[in-house]
Amino acid sequence: MAYFRAVDPFPLESADQNKLHEFYEYLAADRLVTTCCGSCRRLAWPPRGFCPECLSDHFEWVDLPHEGTVHGFSIQETGLPAGFRAPVVFAIVTVGGLRIFGPVVGADPVALRVGDTVRFAPIRVADDSKGLARHLVAFAPGARPA
Amino acid sequence: MRKVALVGAGVTRFGVRKASYRDLVWEAGKACFDSAPAVRPRDLEGLVVGSVMPERTAFQSHISSMAAEALGITPSALSARTEHMCASGTVGIRYAYAFIAAGLADLVMVLGVEKLNQPAADEAILNMGTGVDRDWEACYGLTAPPCFALAAQKHMARYGTTEEQLALVGVKNHAHATRNPNAHFQKGATLEQVMGSRMIASPLRLFMCSPITDGAAAVILASEDRARDLTDRPVWIRGTGQALDGFTLTSLHEDYAHWPAMKRAAESAYRMAGIGPADVDLAEVHDCFAIAEIIAYEELGFCEKGEGGGFVAKGRSDYGGEVVVNPRGGLMGCGHPLGATGVAQAAEVYAQLRAEAGPRQVPDARIGLAHNNSGMGEHVVMIYGREAA
Repeated sequence: MAYFRAVDPFPLESADQNKLHEFYEYLAADRLVTTCCGSCRRLAWPPRGFCPECLSDHFEWVDLPHEGTVHGFSIQETGLPAGFRAPVVFAIVTVGGLRIFGPVVGADPVALRVGDTVRFAPIRVADDSKGLARHLVAFAPGARPA
Repeated sequence: MRKVALVGAGVTRFGVRKASYRDLVWEAGKACFDSAPAVRPRDLEGLVVGSVMPERTAFQSHISSMAAEALGITPSALSARTEHMCASGTVGIRYAYAFIAAGLADLVMVLGVEKLNQPAADEAILNMGTGVDRDWEACYGLTAPPCFALAAQKHMARYGTTEEQLALVGVKNHAHATRNPNAHFQKGATLEQVMGSRMIASPLRLFMCSPITDGAAAVILASEDRARDLTDRPVWIRGTGQALDGFTLTSLHEDYAHWPAMKRAAESAYRMAGIGPADVDLAEVHDCFAIAEIIAYEELGFCEKGEGGGFVAKGRSDYGGEVVVNPRGGLMGCGHPLGATGVAQAAEVYAQLRAEAGPRQVPDARIGLAHNNSGMGEHVVMIYGREAA
């Protein structure tokens, strides 16, 4: 019996699997967006399907800055899950007043400091089981080139 | 509400076990029934099973019915599984407690079980990622160590907590585990061994982390009348509390060394029990990582915020101190088979308050506290007493 796998740790991002598929479409186009409540204008992270404050399910995608500052980070040196390779710099990055979680790819772990500037640099991960490309939010050290 | 007591408790050997998921259910169930000779499987009206990921580790769901049949229990009032990641066992105890307190059942077993070790070690770790938000965190390979590392870094920066103080939590709990024949680790660990163990996620080293462990535990809860019939030394549930700050890391308090939900859960439990932190003789706390125990001293009220590092270094959480924390060896010494942990904590408090804990007995233990968490933002606290009130 061949082992068939249709799910993995990455989100199913496509329109037939996910109502927030536009988030990933923007990501593939190098844009970092999140949901803004169409009624009370509250900004959310992560993006959400309805607003817990005013209960509106009308939302707009708004662009976030492409630079942020490191709020905290941790370098995992061993014991990563199957399919992931150490070391990984896991970071909380403050972007436009929101705290966003993501890896800092290509950082020198010795040099990285809380308060450092990092830039939005999305990564492509494994395609889904239908062969569609998938992307995730990630950061790279330093400011965005002008 | 009616009073509720523990009337039986049993645990399996914890470790990398040559046993199936069902074997562990059998072992814990039998150990629990052996501890309560007046209770037979057919007497139980209910079973709650705390278990996190049997779908991935044993390819099995429908857990409470499977376990009931394995144990010869035919529930007539309550059959359920609780899944709340690392706190699943204690959440199960709260369900059984509420059913009995409300008069919907009189005699219920709560069993926690997990078979975490897999043929491939990195798959066991991948499975742990199911407890983390898949869309926004687990998709990067995030599991618990880097999260708790954030708390440790913040605690060190803000309060001057040292790596040595973190290591001393490991030394204490590994020492306690040497007196527990069911613990995963029984050799102890010196300060040098803990400080020299390999780095997992800075500043947390291997011996400051709980391991991947298989195991199960079971307790029996009874209404007041049944409890007094079944044993002359019931252990009473005096208080309970649960609170949640958030699920994803970015929804927690921005100071990762500050865990307000734990304080709220503890306050609820203390208020219900009519006691305060100074009344607690022993505490089973969720030391999944050394920093968690240090923060627990503070949020549970055993010391002031920021003093947790000194609290362990001065021996205030050990035998001879103010409160014996993790007498069975904690999650670091015993291991952490997720769903089983909270139930094993209750089983330890049961033994301690009945003065049956042998070489690790806390002298004249009257009040025991158990704390179980799921990540840094979700906490459950139970308070047990030798007297009903």
